[in-house]
Amino acid sequence: MKKSCIAMLLAGGQGSRLYALTQSVAKPSVPFGGKYRIIDFPLSNCANSGIDTVGVLTQYKPLQLNSYIGIGQSWDLDVSDGGVYILPPYLGAGEKGSWFTGTANAIYQNLAFIENYDPETVLILSGDHIYKMDYADMLREHKEKGAALTIAVQEVTMEEATRMGILNPGADGYVEQFEEKPKHPKSNLASMGIYIFDWKKLRDYLIADENDPNSSKDFGKNIIPSMLAAGEKIWPYRFSGYWRDVGTITSLWDANMDLLSNADINLYDDAWPIASRSPVCPPHYVGESAKVVHSIVTEGCEIDGYVDNSVLSPNVVVAEGAEVAFSVLMPGAVVEKGAVVKYAIVGENTVVEAGARVGTDPDGSENWAVATCGPNIRIRKNATVPAGAMIYTGEEV
Amino acid sequence: MRNYHGIIFAYQTTPELRELVSARSGASLPFCGRYRLIDFPLSSLRNAGILDCGVIMQRNYQSLLDHLSSGKAWDMSRAGDGGLRMLPPFGLPEYHTGNYVGTIEALNAVSTYIRDISQKHVVLMFGSMVANIDLDAAIRKHEAGDADITAICGTETPMGQHHRFVVGPDGYVRRIDLYRRNDGEGLPGLEAFIIHKDTLLQLMDRCSAMNLYAFHKDALNLFLSAGGKMDVYVHHGYANAIRTVEEFYRANKDMLDPALRRQVFPVERPVRTKIHEYVSTYYSEGAVARNCLIADNCRIEGELEDCIVFSGARIAKGAKLKGCIVMRGCIAGENSQLSYVIADKDTAFSAGTVLAGNEKLPLVVPKGTKI
Repeated sequence: MKKSCIAMLLAGGQGSRLYALTQSVAKPSVPFGGKYRIIDFPLSNCANSGIDTVGVLTQYKPLQLNSYIGIGQSWDLDVSDGGVYILPPYLGAGEKGSWFTGTANAIYQNLAFIENYDPETVLILSGDHIYKMDYADMLREHKEKGAALTIAVQEVTMEEATRMGILNPGADGYVEQFEEKPKHPKSNLASMGIYIFDWKKLRDYLIADENDPNSSKDFGKNIIPSMLAAGEKIWPYRFSGYWRDVGTITSLWDANMDLLSNADINLYDDAWPIASRSPVCPPHYVGESAKVVHSIVTEGCEIDGYVDNSVLSPNVVVAEGAEVAFSVLMPGAVVEKGAVVKYAIVGENTVVEAGARVGTDPDGSENWAVATCGPNIRIRKNATVPAGAMIYTGEEV
Repeated sequence: MRNYHGIIFAYQTTPELRELVSARSGASLPFCGRYRLIDFPLSSLRNAGILDCGVIMQRNYQSLLDHLSSGKAWDMSRAGDGGLRMLPPFGLPEYHTGNYVGTIEALNAVSTYIRDISQKHVVLMFGSMVANIDLDAAIRKHEAGDADITAICGTETPMGQHHRFVVGPDGYVRRIDLYRRNDGEGLPGLEAFIIHKDTLLQLMDRCSAMNLYAFHKDALNLFLSAGGKMDVYVHHGYANAIRTVEEFYRANKDMLDPALRRQVFPVERPVRTKIHEYVSTYYSEGAVARNCLIADNCRIEGELEDCIVFSGARIAKGAKLKGCIVMRGCIAGENSQLSYVIADKDTAFSAGTVLAGNEKLPLVVPKGTKI
């Protein structure tokens, strides 16, 4: 089956900087923004961009991710001549198999999958970014520029540039140099980790890279530098819309809060829907004593307490007299009577028992941070989880 | 695969639902923020593992077809011949005019379909009944006994007209008290039956031969008078058929009661429906909501009390709504005041509009009205 472009979504990362939130699930399946999981964004972008064949490379704790994606029906990706394919590492007959040792190796190990579709271009995505992007537009530019590789970039401040992968364009606009976290950045074009490769070229570089024992099999560290060294045409595709890496607790919390402000990401846009696999639950209920302001609330919630500046996922319960402010409550989280949750992320099905306190208002000190409770935890009656704390599943509080 | 096949009656014309059914059938009436009435029988069947089902419809069925789609929401989009089947009038000359005069006529109109059902038993259900029936338990009771028919009954006397099933000392139904409105002997029927397919076909034939068309009055009475054995399965929990605007309004308001809501939406038997929305509801600074059920994708900036709000509604700043049912895509403009209003789909109230019904007589604003 011939396809002009297929997408490969790197979803195998552990997401170790999300700590308790990725203790038992892969980062792309972490809940986000009420109804979503992070992977809904790249999957919906693919569907909306007309890319109907997506390989999802999984490795770390894939169970929940696999069952969430299913056959891709929620994103209209269950088509007869394409679809979503979960691609775990595997053992081949008579040869030694292995885990994916790097982003490039993950694609290398799935050469056969890509060859099935004999594509002209391959779109490489990662599963930990919140953004809405029309990949078709990027693809058009890739073809116009006759590039071997097009990298989506964002203009960032020079200060931010020191923490990111920076592309330095030459006079003709094509990329001349790639610098990882430069001390003195020469440009402000930061790589978003979204690549469109000419497939035949990528194939050759992947095979060469695989045979290089000194390579760490990574797109940023190995493939792109080799292509630059060989003088391949690499084009930076400028993207100015909302885009956030949600790989840390702070960035995940920030991106959730962005949904409450008039940030550049509009999820109420019928023309570019971000779909999700929703459980079907009744509308949310707000009781006589409830007060909900400046917040996002999702179906299945039962609210009798006070909710301010917060994001509530499906089936969250906030009991009478409880207070939730500046917090993200993941599906099924329960805040019992009189409990207080402030500046916190509360994981799936975690119960904050009566009178307990999780997190505090910012106190201006340097160690203050958002408090995080992983999934399936019981924060005992009247217990306190201080600001910046990280509570793992299985811990007693 | 279960040896049961569902048949849902969605053909009924219900004039007392007035404007609410001017562009839809009773079974496709929106309910409780995100559902349609037919979701209840469909989910009851699905939750009992019955995935083959015919829906008999006759008029105004466009919205019902849209909602049912391929049946996927109830896992009734099956490979092969099974799954959900829409049964609009087949166009036989004798059925060209008038409404079906009774359930038997509706069944006769699709008799070829019924004859082709491969399962032994049929579950008949009413498309406009708000009840989450544990059909699995009902089937187990039916199979444990030797009755040809099991009538599913409730415990509480419902709001509207109903039939009551009086059980004799042997445990079988002795008689049916027809068209009751109040408490009385026996149990109120929920217009749901488990019946052997052959028994159903025989009853259809016998009734047709005598020009009889009512299911309870004619078919079931014929069955009982011929010595047929009819068992009763008692559904404990909420059950109300929706045939009038008042019943529609009250049943929606009933869902604000947490105990009743749990009876209709138990975790172990989810009510399934078509998914429309991919985004949560936003409450602005200054929003007020008390005792309300609010679906996804709404924007709440005003005040709501005792309301049911469907998805996509916009309640602007300063708007005050009390006791209202606000369907999908409605807009309440700034400082509008609405009390006891049923705003049908895509209704828009411009800024400052004041409109009031009464708790006993809610005001229906037809679909798409712009005020």
